[in-house]
Amino acid sequence: MPEVPRPAKRRTLARRERRFAYALLAPAVVAVAALIAYPMYLIFATSFREGKSLNFLALNKRPFGLGNYRDVLSDGATWHNVYVSVAYTIGSIVPAFVIGLATALLLNRVFPLRRWLRSLMLLPWAVPGVMVSIMFLWMFDASFGVVNYALRTLGLITTDIAWYTTESTALFAVIVPTIWKSYPFFTLTLLAAMQSIPVNLYEAAKVDGAGAWARFWQITWPGIRGPAVLALVLNGLWAFREFDIIYAATAGGPAQATETLGLRAYNEAFGFFYMGRASVVGVLMLAIAMLFVFVARKQLRKEFF
Amino acid sequence: MNGKRIKAWLLGVCAALLCTSAWAQGKTIELEFPSWQFEEPGAADYWTAIIAAFEASHPGVKIKKQQIPFREYIDKMTVRFAGNNPPDIVHLPTRNYLAFASQGWLAPLDDDLAKTDVRQSYMKLNDEMLYDGKTYGVLMMGYGMMFFYNEKMLADAKVAVPKTSDQLLKAIAATTDASAGRFGWGAPTNQHPNVFVEISTWVTGEGASLFKEHAYNFTDPAVIKAVDDFRAAVKNAPKGTSSEQARQLFLDGKIAMLRDGPWVAAQIKKAPDATRPYLKMGLMPFAVSPGGTSNSLHMPAKLDAEKKKLVWEFIRMTTEPQWQVKFTQLTSSPAPRKTVMAAPEIAANPELAMVNKAAADAVNLFPQNIAVREDFNEFAKIFVEYGMKLIGSDRPTADIMKDMQADMTKRVPPK
Repeated sequence: MPEVPRPAKRRTLARRERRFAYALLAPAVVAVAALIAYPMYLIFATSFREGKSLNFLALNKRPFGLGNYRDVLSDGATWHNVYVSVAYTIGSIVPAFVIGLATALLLNRVFPLRRWLRSLMLLPWAVPGVMVSIMFLWMFDASFGVVNYALRTLGLITTDIAWYTTESTALFAVIVPTIWKSYPFFTLTLLAAMQSIPVNLYEAAKVDGAGAWARFWQITWPGIRGPAVLALVLNGLWAFREFDIIYAATAGGPAQATETLGLRAYNEAFGFFYMGRASVVGVLMLAIAMLFVFVARKQLRKEFF
Repeated sequence: MNGKRIKAWLLGVCAALLCTSAWAQGKTIELEFPSWQFEEPGAADYWTAIIAAFEASHPGVKIKKQQIPFREYIDKMTVRFAGNNPPDIVHLPTRNYLAFASQGWLAPLDDDLAKTDVRQSYMKLNDEMLYDGKTYGVLMMGYGMMFFYNEKMLADAKVAVPKTSDQLLKAIAATTDASAGRFGWGAPTNQHPNVFVEISTWVTGEGASLFKEHAYNFTDPAVIKAVDDFRAAVKNAPKGTSSEQARQLFLDGKIAMLRDGPWVAAQIKKAPDATRPYLKMGLMPFAVSPGGTSNSLHMPAKLDAEKKKLVWEFIRMTTEPQWQVKFTQLTSSPAPRKTVMAAPEIAANPELAMVNKAAADAVNLFPQNIAVREDFNEFAKIFVEYGMKLIGSDRPTADIMKDMQADMTKRVPPK
């Protein structure tokens, strides 16, 4: 008959197991504290330092107060930045999702050169943002760009459009390269999900007389919904804090027409040297991103947790 | 570990330290030198020549050049200084240096300059290096704005070389055929710091001023008239171009006329064969010759004694008469030493004589107000934001200038 441990011994064992578990968790806790918690603390701490300072190392000598929050939140330009950020995020993510879904459906079919085409389709995702901007700057160049040339040739415009230097067209002109760069991520994610759907489901649906539309909504969409939601959330957050494509194309201009919150934070910090205000913009971005995740939490919990 | 082993380890460590120290004694000293000019024809040739001569006269010293585009230059330098990581040789557009000096980032050079003839022999524009009673750098160039034109494009449009701003606007309109990719005027039309220079050139050239005593003067009728003329000119310029792209389009024969510094003359010499014979330089067709200080060399305040000595020797070398002559020859731009223009190799060149005249007559187009100069980066960024509204919208000039006056007074108040 096995020996039953006495209560005191059991307590010691449980304590030792708990300690061991904490020891195993410790590296992760330290990593999170160093890589996430400390920078967050710095952003919050800096957001209370008022005034202009070109000396980053002496920021903690600046006056402490809520002035930056008052200035930034009461500034009409901030809410313009929020509008630009949301418009840019929705304007780039929705078309990128639609194109990504369409290309995933196309590449999920069997046809010659399918593998070759799959690799080609993913290329934009690998191109650095700055390079993407340069390519589109040339294509959308007001005087010598191919876009204006094509529109002129088709008779759709009579005078050249200065896409990147006109307030009304600049946001569209930075959204287009973002769509081009981000749709392959949707293609990749959705295609992988589509390939995990058993083929016999489609065969059975066909036998039952289901059309293409019904097969998509009843079989494909339920099979890809989880990855689609995750890809939308991730891409949405990436687009919301996008910097390099916009900075290289317009630097937030003309006249702040493409100045998202990320660009505003950069300009406040490194253009005007108001590190406190830049940090407030960072805190605002964080709050909006958290709100976005909070709104999407039900769907995320349903799909993943 | 026994005693013998510990001794052996200690001996080994000491030997390694000695070797490292000996190697360190003989190692090359590297001076970091960022600039936006290392790829500009003319200026690049000058820097290459003087750096080679300096390295030859200072064995064991190497100057490491770092090219940074002008559009990003000031932001990058500011971040480096703010992060306590300044370069060794500091090259700045003179309009921006005060923002650096006022932060205590630059070393005063008065003691070193006292041992030279710079104060006596340099043009008066070098006084801009004075701030708070101390001298924070050495001027590389003061200049008058020059007018560049494509003789053939003007002749094809049957217009003469303009002599007044009205004639200039007519010539710009006559030489523009946007559908054929030909433009009458070249100017920075994207979010570029030189948008301020372009607008200020028109304002100063037409005899107006953006400043009135200790206040902004953006709503003055004469300023608004000059800005209206600027807008009429850029309507016939390619959109979305930087200064560098505008220059290239002029060299390629796609732009008929251009306002720029005299250094473009050096670039014309390297223009394509098909256009080079037609590209000419003249005086600006304005009542007043606009100009100003261009760029200057400085020393960071935080630098070790050995490097400080070397950096000063490099700066001093640029002030020597033979290097000043070389500068003018290679860059086609006036050097600040007054005697340079009298040098035989310069006096015989009519183009350089014209450049000299423009510099001598120049009225400064950059702000002189100390508070604005200390905050020039922010001033220029705000100015460019409104400049983009002038370039890209149809809003009345008076409304935009009124908004800019109010915004600028609030954000960069002049004292």
